[in-house]
Amino acid sequence: MVRRVLAVYGHHWRINALTALEYRANFLLWAAFAVVYHGTALGALWVTLHAFPSMNGWTFRDMTLLYGLWMLAHALHDTLFFGVGNVPEYVRDGEFDRLLVRPLDTLFAVIATPGQIFPDELFLALGFFIVATLYSGVRVDAVFVLCVPFVIAGGTLIELAINLLVATLAFWFVRVDALKWIVLQLESEFTRYPIGIYSRGVRLFLTFVFPFAFMNYFPAAYFLHKPATLALPPVAGLLTPVVGIAFLGLAYAFWRFGLKRYAGVGH
Amino acid sequence: MIADRAVRRFRFAPYLEFGKKAIAREATYRFDVFTSIGSFALRMYLLRMVWTALYARNAAPRDLPLHAILTYSAVALLMGLVLDVDQVSSLYTKLHDGSIVSDFLRPINVPLYFFADGTGEVLFHAALVVPSLAIALVLVHIDVPSPGTGAAFALSLVLGYFVGFTINFILNASAFWTLEIHAVQLIVTWLTDLLGGELVPLVLFPVALQHALFALPFAAMFSTPLLIYVGEIPPERYAAALGLQALWLAVLGAVCVVMWRAGSRRIVVQGG
Repeated sequence: MVRRVLAVYGHHWRINALTALEYRANFLLWAAFAVVYHGTALGALWVTLHAFPSMNGWTFRDMTLLYGLWMLAHALHDTLFFGVGNVPEYVRDGEFDRLLVRPLDTLFAVIATPGQIFPDELFLALGFFIVATLYSGVRVDAVFVLCVPFVIAGGTLIELAINLLVATLAFWFVRVDALKWIVLQLESEFTRYPIGIYSRGVRLFLTFVFPFAFMNYFPAAYFLHKPATLALPPVAGLLTPVVGIAFLGLAYAFWRFGLKRYAGVGH
Repeated sequence: MIADRAVRRFRFAPYLEFGKKAIAREATYRFDVFTSIGSFALRMYLLRMVWTALYARNAAPRDLPLHAILTYSAVALLMGLVLDVDQVSSLYTKLHDGSIVSDFLRPINVPLYFFADGTGEVLFHAALVVPSLAIALVLVHIDVPSPGTGAAFALSLVLGYFVGFTINFILNASAFWTLEIHAVQLIVTWLTDLLGGELVPLVLFPVALQHALFALPFAAMFSTPLLIYVGEIPPERYAAALGLQALWLAVLGAVCVVMWRAGSRRIVVQGG
């Protein structure tokens, strides 16, 4: 069973790589877009903090680590689990029914559906994270080296959990594009800044409802010795993997519940 | 020959119809409306929090107090609702699926058809400004400019809109040659966000960069109208600022004409 799953997954990546090779110019342009996307976000941060050196006690150097942590977890999620975001589209087109009759787990079938996926953004994120670690002046000790991989993995699970939640809603509400877009915006834009700048309600939301703050803010605050918000102890920053597993557990249970009730949209 | 006669006796009515049809088409995408307004509200909240936090702990720039920068951000977001619409995307679609051929057979001026269609699309999105403005007013206070400044802003906004139209036209018309344009289009959109002053006012950039950025067409889209609005460009510099916008419009417009002439002569239809 495990070997079969691995074989299918291997094929998934083979097709992805072949697709990238087939459309080389297009692939390079999309890679260039990834650079521009993150470049403009960081550029805007740099300009802002060039004019105003401190944001609630965070400098531009601190915020590169904040961005690097988010970027790496996000890129890892998009490389491994990009397909989950396509579920609403599959449901709408009736394509989802085909995945249901596959002899493997449906969620796995979703994840292993090839697309134009290539780990270019992941390489970029890894490179940037190394630069940000050195530039931010964070102390690279044993705790940092040991914990960062778990924090990144946990951040990836958090993003997967939220996306799975939204994807499951598509079983009942066929159009979830608006919600999807707004969640993405919360995740990509609200995580760019230390969450201490937001009102209490938004901070609570980003910590306990859609826990994006655990992707980067709490870990970065811990590593950089910044006071965390919401009266949480600094060590909460190392809880990211726990939060990730807990939320993914909830999201997966909701997904199973949704699958049992799924009746198609009437194709 | 029918086409020749139609061109000689130009009639406005068909283009008005094309515009109306575009409005009706856009109105069917109701979910996009919710997305636009929802993401507008999120961005407005975010910008308010970001600027408030920055002004609380740092020395404010001498001529850009907090209320001015919040006004700038609100007006920039509202402008984005209209200026970020790719009103020429149907040109790309038609080049991609080959249906552009039938447009060339119709007794119409094809570029003017795309202009009418795009204007209709934009007018629909312009209607979103009303609910969005209401949301913005709940979150921030927007300064109201003097009538003179308001008029200069309106003129500059119109010029900025047309600069945006030419940039979109050039991007979509490049599909005459490349057939796949989305990545390039997104790259340009993101660069416009930053280099056009939509995210952060260009006057906050390091001085050495400012001079280069003010000269680029991106600034002609967003930055010029916005800086007029908040008074960063004083009345004595209106003529120069508007003149530069008009110059970019003329240059980009000329590029559009050249591209259209060259492109329409070499239409390649991909099977179909």
